[in-house]
Amino acid sequence: MKEFWAILKNELIKTVKRPRSFIGFGVVIFICFVLQAALYNDGKEMLSLITNQIENSISINGTVLNGNLICYILLQTLIIQMPLLVALVTGDLISGETSSGTIRFLLSRPAGRTKIVLAKWIAGLFYTLLLLILLGVIALYGSRLIFGDGDMLCVNSTGATIIRNADVNWRFMYSFFIAFLSLSVVATLALFLSTIMDNSITPIVSTMAIIIIFTIMGMFDLPSLDVIRPFLFTSHMISWKDMFENPVPVQDIINSCIILFAHIVILLGASIYIFERKDITN
Amino acid sequence: MAKAVQLENLTKKFGDFTAVDSLSFSVPQGSIFGFLGPNGSGKSTTLRMMLSLIKPTSGHIELFGSSLELERRSIMSKIGVIIEKPDFYTYLSALDNLKLFARAGGLDFTKKDYDALLTKVGLKGREKDKVKTYSHGMKQRLGLAQALIHDPQFIILDEPNTGLDPLGIIELRELMLDLNKKEGKTILFSSHILSEVEAVCDHLVVIDKGKKVVEGVVKDLLSNEDLLVDVEVGNFQNAMSFLEGTEWAADIVEKQEIESSIKFNLSKNRLASLNAFLVQKGVDVMGMEYRKRLEEYFLKITNN
Amino acid sequence: MRYFLLISFLLFGIQAQATDAKKLIAAVNKKMKAINDYQATVGMKFDLPGIKINEMKGKVYFKRPDKFRIRAKGIFFLPKDNPLRNVTSLLEDTKSYTAVISGYETIGGKRCAVVNIIPLNTELELIVGKFWISLNDPLIYKTEITTKKNGTIRSRNIFAKNSKNPLPIKVILQIEMKAFKVPKLLAADIKKKSTKGTSNEKKTGEIYLTFSDYKLNRKIPNSVFTAK
Repeated sequence: MKEFWAILKNELIKTVKRPRSFIGFGVVIFICFVLQAALYNDGKEMLSLITNQIENSISINGTVLNGNLICYILLQTLIIQMPLLVALVTGDLISGETSSGTIRFLLSRPAGRTKIVLAKWIAGLFYTLLLLILLGVIALYGSRLIFGDGDMLCVNSTGATIIRNADVNWRFMYSFFIAFLSLSVVATLALFLSTIMDNSITPIVSTMAIIIIFTIMGMFDLPSLDVIRPFLFTSHMISWKDMFENPVPVQDIINSCIILFAHIVILLGASIYIFERKDITN
Repeated sequence: MAKAVQLENLTKKFGDFTAVDSLSFSVPQGSIFGFLGPNGSGKSTTLRMMLSLIKPTSGHIELFGSSLELERRSIMSKIGVIIEKPDFYTYLSALDNLKLFARAGGLDFTKKDYDALLTKVGLKGREKDKVKTYSHGMKQRLGLAQALIHDPQFIILDEPNTGLDPLGIIELRELMLDLNKKEGKTILFSSHILSEVEAVCDHLVVIDKGKKVVEGVVKDLLSNEDLLVDVEVGNFQNAMSFLEGTEWAADIVEKQEIESSIKFNLSKNRLASLNAFLVQKGVDVMGMEYRKRLEEYFLKITNN
Repeated sequence: MRYFLLISFLLFGIQAQATDAKKLIAAVNKKMKAINDYQATVGMKFDLPGIKINEMKGKVYFKRPDKFRIRAKGIFFLPKDNPLRNVTSLLEDTKSYTAVISGYETIGGKRCAVVNIIPLNTELELIVGKFWISLNDPLIYKTEITTKKNGTIRSRNIFAKNSKNPLPIKVILQIEMKAFKVPKLLAADIKKKSTKGTSNEKKTGEIYLTFSDYKLNRKIPNSVFTAK
């Protein structure tokens, strides 16, 4: 166990100190800042695209454009931007060391390959968590600071839900947990691809390609895709939005979490299996 | 003599290609062991199998009497290694890199320990610089530091001289001899600079096309080997007229009139006699060169 | 909307003596004039197609002739402002419309005359207004206002028994709503399946307002209606 903690500490140091890790933090801060500034200027107009639909017959009273809604909008970036930033670091965890040659020294130590993969995976999850916490703090608390808080208008393609301000915090908390689980799948997928590829870029690109393809498959209402859609992890990556339904579809969320967790287990298991048997010829 | 490493019928196939073919040799404990072979002979694959970076297709590896397959963990804690060029986390400093390696090896180093190690490899004063600012030679030194960090019993040095200046090469040679003679470490040394191998190794094995060609004690292998001596004379015709019909004629292997050069195959102790003979006959000896013994031996046995 | 509430709140409590439409309206107007302003606690409950929203409470303020505001913490929905801003003054301006009793119905145990208001100026937003005014006390128990832009908005008013207050304790607003659909891409909706139905499909939504703790004629400042 002491050996594992030592390896894990090494992996955490490497992950956090890598220059590309800072790219992720920088992008999150930049995008949040840009979107918050843009919404501050043009938020009402943008919101009217959606509220105009509702305001056909009734008027909406109250402060719709508030920090809680801004946070909800910023979390939409979880679909594209966040997976990319996660894959940028986790996709390089093994393949990066293979291409740079440091894998030789890593595997010449007493620690076994399984421990190394697990340590890298945990380091990847830790980075993912840091990124998500940063997004959460800026998106939620930063937005509340700028826009104030209030009831949250959540819109989906079939209707709208108003979440009362007093009811918002615990929903955000659980949604962040689900988002973390979703991004953990991305991290584990990227790690898996990192074990089978020997260069730095391909696992990252492949991870994004898989996410985009699965997302597109999930968006089209075609009967032939209905069979596999429930099992695509991308179909569950936005399950965090279910926390803003009234009532919260608890069973649906549990089902999504189970599917996401299953993906993590399968991908991690496959990563360990492949890495244990891989010949390091670089 | 106890064996630090024992390879038995080690084979590695990559698809249809056999990189290592039933290779067997042993590294005596406490020796400096030369591991030689031309490019593509399977040296790197063999070393990687010893380090469990590559899984053998068949065969057996034992280190310090323990099976690598069964007791990898305890074995790896006794091995220090430089495989080809040493690679590091270039975004970290040299000291941070060493700390990673020390931690991975379960070592609790103090600042004093790091200082001693860095001084040993000649990097003291540059330890806080990022590795990406290091020259190739400095990286080699740092590679040596990470190989020695956990005081291993067995050290694998694969091309450790690459990028070192002449002083660095000498320092490395002296360090290897120190580690071996004073600390009793077993060293497996692979290098294309055969003069260095000949200077430090007491045992060697030569492989080619994945198979063992020869294995043994260096001085035994080289003792019976003749030198190829290239003598440059002032007057080729004059020299030849004196050499023909003498004992020396039988040793001539090549004559090059245009270059005024005559090549002899003879043992080192006869060099002085040849020189004395030519000078006595009034032949101007412009130069006398002989190829290094190991170099010549290597070329001969690997059919180059 | 405020005008319908205005009618609802201000016109009730007038003792309607006459069964004739204009007499009934005159009686309602007389009761309206007695209240310059009022404030009350209002509970709001919503049953709107495609919108999920919990109940909430707020404060309602009214000041003659047409200042109306509900202040509450949070988001709530109300019917869109009736383009006819001066329904009160329209009712008081008896020369601008024709009032006809089209029938009689019993609402909430009260015998009511159904008074149709038809504006004489056809360019106005109002097409027709129907008011169920009780014969015994000139209170409006039900309204049905049809406008060009917003269709028909109905309200049902409930009053406290034996209350001296002419204002209702409960108003149920019924609105014709178009079901709205936001594109999946805009809603970032991958998981949900598309449902059938067009954006023009009409449904009925209901808003339930319950009033309590009325305070009448307290000289409410104008800032209440303008401050954020």
